[in-house]
Amino acid sequence: MKLAEKITAFSIMLIITAASVAAVINGGAGNGFSQISLKNLADGGFCHVLSESFAAEFPFGKQLRSVAAEIGTKSGEPVVNGVYISEERMLSLNEYRLSAADNCAEVVNAYSADFEGAVYFTAVPTSTGIYGDSLPSYFLSVTEKQITERIHGSLDVNIRRIDAYTILKNLSDNYIYYRSDTKWTSYGAYCVYRTVAQKLGFIPVPYDKYSIRHVTDDYYGNLFTRTGYMESRADIIDIYDYNDGTEIVSCTGVDSHGIEHDINLYDVSAVESDNPYNLYLGEKMDYIEISTSVNNEKSLLVIGDETADCFIPFLTKHYSKISFVSADNYKNIIDKYTDKSRYEQTLFILGIDHISGKYRGE
Amino acid sequence: MTYSSLLFIYMFFPLSLLLYLIAPKKVKDGVLYAESLVFCGFMGLRIVAFMVVFCLVNYLAGLALYCISPKLKSIPLAAGVLYDVLMLISFRSSYFSYLHGFTGIPQAVFPVGISLYTLSAIGYLADIYKGNSKCDKNFIRFSLYIMMFPRLIMGTIVDYDTFVHILRHRRYNMNEIGRGLVSFTKGLAKKVLIADALYEFNSAVKNIPLSELSAAGAWLGIAAYILCLYFTLSGFSDMSCGLCRCFGMKFSNSFNHPLFVRKVRIFVSGWHIQVLHWFRKYIISPVSSKFDNPYVSKLVFVAVWILTGIWYDFSSGAALWGMLIGLAVIIENMLNNHKPFRPNGIIYTMLSITLMTVFLSQGSISKGAQYIAVMFGGNGNLADSAAAYMLKYYIVIILIAVYASTDLFRNTAARIKNSRFSGVLTVLTPVSSAVLLILCTALMSFIGQSSTMIIQL
Repeated sequence: MKLAEKITAFSIMLIITAASVAAVINGGAGNGFSQISLKNLADGGFCHVLSESFAAEFPFGKQLRSVAAEIGTKSGEPVVNGVYISEERMLSLNEYRLSAADNCAEVVNAYSADFEGAVYFTAVPTSTGIYGDSLPSYFLSVTEKQITERIHGSLDVNIRRIDAYTILKNLSDNYIYYRSDTKWTSYGAYCVYRTVAQKLGFIPVPYDKYSIRHVTDDYYGNLFTRTGYMESRADIIDIYDYNDGTEIVSCTGVDSHGIEHDINLYDVSAVESDNPYNLYLGEKMDYIEISTSVNNEKSLLVIGDETADCFIPFLTKHYSKISFVSADNYKNIIDKYTDKSRYEQTLFILGIDHISGKYRGE
Repeated sequence: MTYSSLLFIYMFFPLSLLLYLIAPKKVKDGVLYAESLVFCGFMGLRIVAFMVVFCLVNYLAGLALYCISPKLKSIPLAAGVLYDVLMLISFRSSYFSYLHGFTGIPQAVFPVGISLYTLSAIGYLADIYKGNSKCDKNFIRFSLYIMMFPRLIMGTIVDYDTFVHILRHRRYNMNEIGRGLVSFTKGLAKKVLIADALYEFNSAVKNIPLSELSAAGAWLGIAAYILCLYFTLSGFSDMSCGLCRCFGMKFSNSFNHPLFVRKVRIFVSGWHIQVLHWFRKYIISPVSSKFDNPYVSKLVFVAVWILTGIWYDFSSGAALWGMLIGLAVIIENMLNNHKPFRPNGIIYTMLSITLMTVFLSQGSISKGAQYIAVMFGGNGNLADSAAAYMLKYYIVIILIAVYASTDLFRNTAARIKNSRFSGVLTVLTPVSSAVLLILCTALMSFIGQSSTMIIQL
């Protein structure tokens, strides 16, 4: 047995040493170290940051996560890293609190009270909200439908609600959500756009007027990244083009560091990048200003999150100017880059996962 | 940082072991102490400050006990024990949450292992008071007794003299490291592969409102809780013993396959052995020796078991859990002595332990009683689709857990070791350890650690 112990010591130490050296070469916990502050050093929060950063750069990370997903789905419930894996699709198991809905409604009400134009609000469910019925009931103590209803019930009467949940739920047999992502597809966004456009006072562009381009049929979304589940099915990303003569005159964005960028409504090159979803409006920006050749002097302020990225292009056919403000820090961004009195309408378009995360409270 | 994290396994552990092994013998303790401070530092600088103060207070109390006149000895003993118990209560219970503000440590920050090293510290002071042990003037060595990182998280509780003996007889060679790594990977697998899956299972049952839970679901939920508790505690204990062994120190395991046994008292003798030994040595024996009455001794026994329950979880349910176990052991002993019948059998023990543990898992007596009612069909629902669903997905892990919690594997390995096929183990041991390490690494690769804990000690 002494030989066995010697071999064990040698082999395990070899694995540990090789992995740690490779992790250090990959960048190791370098990113984590850069996020150390006095506060998280004092309360130990930096250990989580460091740990996640180390895991992200761990050698053979993708392969290991894939193995873990296999073990997870075979040895117990098909839940991996908070994602339920079914044959049809992956669904994120989010824990919601109704207090998040109340807090969100409060913020929108406060904005509305201080805005002279019309305010529109739509909460966009995740794929779990639409397809979560197939999950065992104990996974979702609060559903996205309840969150939507709670927000709608708490909004001031003058705020116009757009019930994206019901629209999407009725169309759930269609390809309105990616199988490997929490977000809606362009078609899902289009379905909601039809109602939004009407509420905003326009006639929506009919579906058959668009020419639809399949940009890629090899898209693996955020749920795939979270699970590394290799047996998941790839998704298709589409672009909806409508050549009615309307052109984008300018489209500029400002990132979180205040640097200005020229951006495209559709950045096809992003499909080959680590985040193919940047196809829609490029990298994450704090503020985006889109000017079009539409000659109606109408302007719209959109306050939203990533959910709005594939939705905004549909609206460019109706406004001469659309400004998008990231919901993360919208008050400061509006103060810094624009003036809300210049807009007749404001549209809040927020994903329910974003609402749950940002307005969670205690 | 816990042992079950990539940062620990692939960064902290190899570096600290290397530093420790290359350090000259004279400074090894100092190196280990510095490494332990860094380890605590990963839990936050406030925790480091707390640990240093905790060690200092007990060290000074020990010195005072040693130096002070015998008549006044009870003062530093009482002060030291009071401080230790106060710290334990302040971190383990919500009743004294204002102490978090006093110590400046946020509610969310928990000094991992406080339940165990508090017992060690109290035992140290009690031994000096009784003259069983001498006070150690070496602060670093004493601090290692309290906060040595390989022993910090659910490590083995030993008295101070035993610790110093182990420290003085450290052995450094590849065989010890090999044995240590086998124990560590076994513990890691218990935690990451089994306990985490059972934790999810138990959480799934807990997410179902009690009024909607079927009897089958309730039985599955409590089975998952017991197995998860065992694999979490024994997993960390194995990891701790393995780490200590890599650093040249041999500590005994805290669990000896207690679940599938024929009597509750056998369960008790194999469950958290050193903790129960501590309660026996420092509370039951001294108090019982004061009284010559067997009924008082039994009362003390039950009272200490209530205390043990509270040590696991500051709740009325945990206290009742302790009381019931204490009573069960006394009743078994009485019946055994008179032999009216033999209440033996694995089913009897499992059933008793399961019903008693309901109170520990639910936290309060009323919730525990409601849960037991549900287990016997109180909701008018014996089985439902949720229970069938859970059984379908978790049956594999339950079977693995049941097998791994028995001594069948250990006995098989022992038989192979003594047979002519012993060479198989030479190949199997390193291969299985490496495979377990890789599998655990894979499962921890999402967030870098396995941090779910069914109970915080």
